[in-house]
Amino acid sequence: MKTLSRGNFKAAWKSVRRNRGRSFLTMLGIIIGVASVVSVVSIGEGVKRQVTMQINHVGSDLITVRAGQLSTSANGRLSVLSGVHVSGSLSDKDLSSVRQTATGATVVPLAVVGGAVTGEHGAYQDGPVIATSTNLPSVLNQSTAFGTFFTGDDDQNNVAVLGAQAARRMFDEEVPLGHTFGFRGKEFMVRGVLNDFTTTPLSTDVDFNNAIYIPYAMGQQLTDNSTLPYEILVKPADASKADKTVDAIRSGLLKNHGDSSDFSVLKQSQTQATTDGVLSLLTELIAGAAAISLLVGGIGIMNITLVSVTERMHEVGIRKAVGATNRQILNEFMAEAVVLSVGGGVIGIIIAGIIDVVLRLTTTLAPVMQWQAVVIAAGISILIGVVFGSAPALKAARKDPITALRGE
Amino acid sequence: MPVIEIKDVSKLYGFGDATTLALDEVDLVIEEGEFVAIMGPSGCGKSTLMNLIGLLDRPTHGDYHLNGRKVSRLRPNHAAKIRRDTIGFIFQSFNLLPKLTALENVALPLTYKNISLTKRLKMASNILERVGMKDREYYLPSQLSGGQVQCAAIARALVNNPKLIIADEPTGNLDSTGSRLVMELLSEVHRMGNTILFVTHNPELTRYATRVVYMHDGTIVQDEQTAIGQVASTAKKALYKTAPTSEEDDLAGVSALMKAVPSTPSKRTSKPTAKKNRKPNKTTKKAKAKR
Ligand SMILES: Nc1ncnc2c1ncn2[C@@H]1O[C@H](COP(=O)(O)OP(=O)(O)O)[C@@H](O)[C@H]1O
Ligand SMILES: [Mg+2]
Repeated sequence: MKTLSRGNFKAAWKSVRRNRGRSFLTMLGIIIGVASVVSVVSIGEGVKRQVTMQINHVGSDLITVRAGQLSTSANGRLSVLSGVHVSGSLSDKDLSSVRQTATGATVVPLAVVGGAVTGEHGAYQDGPVIATSTNLPSVLNQSTAFGTFFTGDDDQNNVAVLGAQAARRMFDEEVPLGHTFGFRGKEFMVRGVLNDFTTTPLSTDVDFNNAIYIPYAMGQQLTDNSTLPYEILVKPADASKADKTVDAIRSGLLKNHGDSSDFSVLKQSQTQATTDGVLSLLTELIAGAAAISLLVGGIGIMNITLVSVTERMHEVGIRKAVGATNRQILNEFMAEAVVLSVGGGVIGIIIAGIIDVVLRLTTTLAPVMQWQAVVIAAGISILIGVVFGSAPALKAARKDPITALRGE
Repeated sequence: MPVIEIKDVSKLYGFGDATTLALDEVDLVIEEGEFVAIMGPSGCGKSTLMNLIGLLDRPTHGDYHLNGRKVSRLRPNHAAKIRRDTIGFIFQSFNLLPKLTALENVALPLTYKNISLTKRLKMASNILERVGMKDREYYLPSQLSGGQVQCAAIARALVNNPKLIIADEPTGNLDSTGSRLVMELLSEVHRMGNTILFVTHNPELTRYATRVVYMHDGTIVQDEQTAIGQVASTAKKALYKTAPTSEEDDLAGVSALMKAVPSTPSKRTSKPTAKKNRKPNKTTKKAKAKR
C-alpha cells in the first residue's frame, strides 16, 4: 500500500486554507471534543495529585474518625459515591472512647460551634467556628504564619486562631494579631494566623482556610457542653502502629454504638483510595460524554469530504484522464480529511492548554496535562480523519474517468 | 505492428429499453505515424470511440490491442498507468484545472509518476516552450485565450512523451485563428513521429490528416487515405460539390457532409437499438437515392 505523501498533505493544506471558513466549522466538532476530553482528564489528574499532596503533607498514618459509614469496597465503585456524604456527629462518649483506646496517640476532636461572628467588616459568614484542641497544628503538620496557636493554658480564655483566608476577610490588617471579633456575645482576641492549607478542590470537607479556631473547652463552655465533634483526628505515636490503632478505636466505638458500625475509622491511605476511585469514575464519565462530540466532529468531516468530492468530480475526471490511479485520488481526499481532523486536534489541545492555565489562575484547581492524554487525543484525531474520510474518498477514487469527467 | 488494433468493438450504454448502441462492431487498425481525422455527425459514436482508444472507457464487447497488447479488459489502475505513460488526451472543453497555472496544469501528469517537484516544473516548462507558451507559464487558464488554453492542454498531453495523441474535437470550441494554432501544433507533433487521432466537424481540417475515417451511427462507413495539404475527397464533396441541404434534409437531420458519405450498411435494422430522434435507415436511403 502506498501511503500518503508530503505532496498530498501540501495540496490538502492548500485546499483547506482556500476554504478557510468552511474548514474551521468542520474542525469545530473535533476541536470541542479534543479540548474537553483533554481538559477533563487534566483536571481529574490535577485533583488526584492535589489530594495525594495533601495526604503526604499530613502523613498517611493520620486516622480520621467520623460518623456515618464510608464504604471502601474495591468493586462497588458506585456505592463509594454515595458513601462520601457523611452525616451525623460523634458523641462525647465516642471521644473519650477514642482517647482511651488509641494509646499513645494524639487525639484531636473537631466540632463546629454555631453562632454569628462579627468582625471588623460586620458579620463573617464564609467559614465555621471550629472548637479543637491545641494539637491540631502538629497533627496536620501545619504551622502558624503569625502569632501562635492556643495552648493548654488557654482553655478558659477568649482567644482564637484564624485560617489564612478568614484573617484576610475579617480584618484590614495584614497581621490582625491582638484584634478582636464578637462571637456569641463575647469578644475573642486573635492569637495567631495559620498558614494556607493545601486545599483539595471538589472536597466536601470543611475548608480549613476559612475557619476560625477556638479552644475545645471554650466551645463546650459556650454551648453548655452541647457541641459534638463531627470528626476526630488521631495521629499514632508511630506510623507502624496505625493499623493496630485503627482496630482498637473501631472495637471501642462498636461497643459504644451497640455493635452497629454507623461510624467510620479511616487511615489517609484508605481515604485516598476512595477519592481516587470517585475521581476516576467522574473523569471517565465526563470524558466519555465529551468524546461524543468527537464522533459528531468525525461525521462533520465525512460530510465536508463528501461535499468536496462532489464539487471536484470533474477535477477527479481530469486527474484520472492524465493518469492518476484510484489510490492516488483516494490519497488526495484522505489527506484533506486527515489535515482537517489533525488540525482540529491540534487546536483542541492548544485550547485545552489555555483552559488549564485559566483554571490554575482563577480557581484552586491545578490541572495536569499528561503527555499520554495529548498523544491519545492526537491519535484519535488522525483515526477520525482516516475512518470518516475514507468513505467519501473511496467514492471519488472508484468513479470511472468518463463519469467523473461529466461531473456526475 | 499496428499501434491500435480494434476488432468487433461494441459499446452499449444503459440497459433494457433505454439501451443505446454507441459503437456497433467497429473494426479499426491504425499504424504508427498516422494522422487520422475522424468525422461524422453528432452522436455517431466518435467520442465513445476516442474514449475507448484512450482507455478512459471499456468496450462492452470486442477486443482492443494497443501496441500489440490486449487492453480491452484492464483493471482501472492498470489502465491509469498506461494512460499516463503512453496516451495523451486532448478534450474539446480543454479540461485544465482552473485553479492551477498553465505550468502546474502541464506538470499534472508527472505528479502521478514520483518525479520531484522541481524536475516536474522544469519538464513542463520545456514543453510549454515547445508549444510557444513560455511567456504564459504563470497564467491561469481564465487569463488565456481559447487557443492558448488548448495549446497548454496539448502541452499537458505531450509532457509524458506519449506515442499516441487523441484529440476529441480539439478545435470545437475555437475560432479559426485558434483552430489554426492548434492544428499547426498537432501537425508539428505528428512530424516528430507521433500517432495522432483527432475528431473534427470541419472538412478543411482534413488537410492536416493522412487518413480520414467517417462514422455514422456507431459504425465506420468510410476510410480513406489522403495526402497532407489536401482536403479529403469525400469531405471535399461536402465542402464544394454537394448542394446545400434541403428543408426536408434539415428536418431529417442530414448534414451536407453525410450526403457525401457513401451508404451506411443496412444490417442495423436487426440490431436492438433504442436511439431516440434518429432514423438512420430512412435518411441514408434517401441520401443514396439522391445521388
Ligand atoms: N454515458 C452515456 N450514457 C448513455 N448514452 C450515451 C452516453 N455517452 C454517449 N451516449 C450515447 O452514445 C451515442 C454516441 O455518443 P458520442 O460518442 O458522444 O457521439 P459523438 O461524439 O460522435 O457526438 C449517442 O447516441 C449518445 O447519446
Ligand atoms: Mg463527441
